[in-house]
Amino acid sequence: MIKINNLNFGYSKHQLLFKNLSMQLSNGHIYGLLGKNGAGKSTLLKNLAGLVYAESGSMDVLGYNPAKRQPALLEQICFIPEEFYLPSVKIDAYVKANAVFYPNFDHPYFTSLLAEFDIPVGQKLINMSYGQKKKVIIAFGLATNAKLIIMDEPTNGLDIPSKAQFRKIMASALTEDRCIIISTHQVRDLDNLIDTVIMLDENSVALKASVEEITDKLVFKRVKEIDETVIYSEPSLAGFNAVMPNFHKEDSKLDLELLFNAVLAEKNKLKPIFN
Amino acid sequence: MEFRDNKAIYLQIAAYVCEHILLGKWKVDEKVSSVREMAVTLEVNPNTVMRTYELLQNKNIISNKRGIGFFVAEDALKNVKDYLKTQFIEEELPVVFRNVYLLNIGFDELETRYNTFVKETFNP
Amino acid sequence: MNNTFNIQRFGLLLKRQWLEFGKIYLISLLVALGVIVAFYGFALWKAFTYADSFSPRDLNFREPLFLIFGFIFISIIASSYFAHLGQKPKAIIDLLIPASTFEKFLTGVFFTSILSIVSFLFLFYITDLAFVSKLRGMYTSVEQITPYVHNGKEITSIDHIAYFFSKYSGRDKFLPLYFFPFFVTSVFLLGSIFFNKFHYIKTAICVMIFSGIWTAIVVKSGEWLFEGKIMIDQENRNMNHMSQNTGEWLGVLLIVTLTAIFWSITYVRLKEKEV
Repeated sequence: MIKINNLNFGYSKHQLLFKNLSMQLSNGHIYGLLGKNGAGKSTLLKNLAGLVYAESGSMDVLGYNPAKRQPALLEQICFIPEEFYLPSVKIDAYVKANAVFYPNFDHPYFTSLLAEFDIPVGQKLINMSYGQKKKVIIAFGLATNAKLIIMDEPTNGLDIPSKAQFRKIMASALTEDRCIIISTHQVRDLDNLIDTVIMLDENSVALKASVEEITDKLVFKRVKEIDETVIYSEPSLAGFNAVMPNFHKEDSKLDLELLFNAVLAEKNKLKPIFN
Repeated sequence: MEFRDNKAIYLQIAAYVCEHILLGKWKVDEKVSSVREMAVTLEVNPNTVMRTYELLQNKNIISNKRGIGFFVAEDALKNVKDYLKTQFIEEELPVVFRNVYLLNIGFDELETRYNTFVKETFNP
Repeated sequence: MNNTFNIQRFGLLLKRQWLEFGKIYLISLLVALGVIVAFYGFALWKAFTYADSFSPRDLNFREPLFLIFGFIFISIIASSYFAHLGQKPKAIIDLLIPASTFEKFLTGVFFTSILSIVSFLFLFYITDLAFVSKLRGMYTSVEQITPYVHNGKEITSIDHIAYFFSKYSGRDKFLPLYFFPFFVTSVFLLGSIFFNKFHYIKTAICVMIFSGIWTAIVVKSGEWLFEGKIMIDQENRNMNHMSQNTGEWLGVLLIVTLTAIFWSITYVRLKEKEV
């Protein structure tokens, strides 16, 4: 579905943000894109949508080169940016003007999504709060039935009930022919929703593995003492939260925050495990 | 449903389904929530639910009828009990034993307490 | 599906852009109408209030008003069209609309060069029609004698007070002037996508600098070529009519070429626009 090959990208020629980044993404998954501030999460998403141009390398999104900005690809992309703008019109006017560009737009689905998000249809977009507007563009984006869904920090600005609604909606939005990529800092909002983790660090992909693969190879648990098998640990109330190689085929719950810190701190120990 | 911290999500979902079957909410030959419905209810990735359903299928707790969906298997009740029993013996009993040993609790005391518990909880 | 141009998609895009800009556009039309009416009213109030106080000279303000205000109006409209692409959130939404870059560019040309010029002409025409008709009704005896050239023959027309857009208004046609508005809008449209902020001011400054350089080059090269020389080919001077015509056509050619160049640069800039 998406193939990135040796992508080199930088906002200035001398300082590359990505060096030879390669990656493949396939349908039927919700990818969680993680990384420190400035690691290039948003930039990678923009590359996928053709909003920025790489220095070199090739990119194939649904068989198209996104840099060409062809309508046939654009109508298959739903991009929810972190900061967005909506004109000061009513929702139905907005939909009337924009939905026509998406041949698979599903009006009843859009209405039901709005209902789920508790958004009154007749309201003017300008009078809405940030969170409400965000819900409108998420609903619109999903109703386009685009195959590639890209979301940059979608839960930012959503209140607690909306986050739960968002998770439900995303769980139902994942179909076999769709690929969903969500970048986030709010790991806890999404950790059960993500099935594959992509971590960016130091100009490239530091880790890309499914939750199943991660918990197959690593075990996350509380231990009283740290021994040499522990890859990374953080002190907690009852000892340590530790990441260890999964020698005994133990089942554990992936702790994304712990994994995130482990990847940043102990990249050299983790690399051989995943390759 | 609240997920706990230390157990893989797909196993927690399995426990959730088993509980429904044990409590009689889902009876033999009845349809189980579809993968998508379950994912939406629990706010988890459908692929995780799929993994749970594959596990439960292997344990003969649910069965897949092609094109229709998942159904509670014939011997589900027995298989659920077997499955939960193994799990309990492997995972929870060691913790109990450890405390019984550390706190010096006699088997007599345990038995009395067990009997009172059963009486109070299940036959009030 | 055609990824470069599709007439139906182009129509939808026009509709969508109208929803976005229509309101502001109509407001600016209203303001422009107000300005034109104010000028007419200010110049003619005496003629309306006191009998026999009208002189055809009172209408001489129309040419400068038409040229200067027309320039300001179309250049402001043009320099605001792509201005929002300087703002990240708005640019993302616009670039991702499933229409081709060419269609987005053509929409820009339509709104800034065709719609704005046509609507300005229309506003000026109806205002002039209203005021001059009223004057003609009041001052039936005023006659205006206008010599003009038609098919190479000098004709003198005797008319009442002339409408601005009448062919008897006595102005010499200067062909390049008809193409000049397109040139102006193409320059300011380019400015609107070239700069991220203060589009109008920056474009205006650039125009001034360039026209300054241009004039300097023409004057200097003229001095260099002709300094100390006298014209000996007196014959050619008599072919005044002929050479004026060719000169005009050369002017037209120059303006059309420049307009086409500016439009092409705008298209390329739009294609390369990154967020």
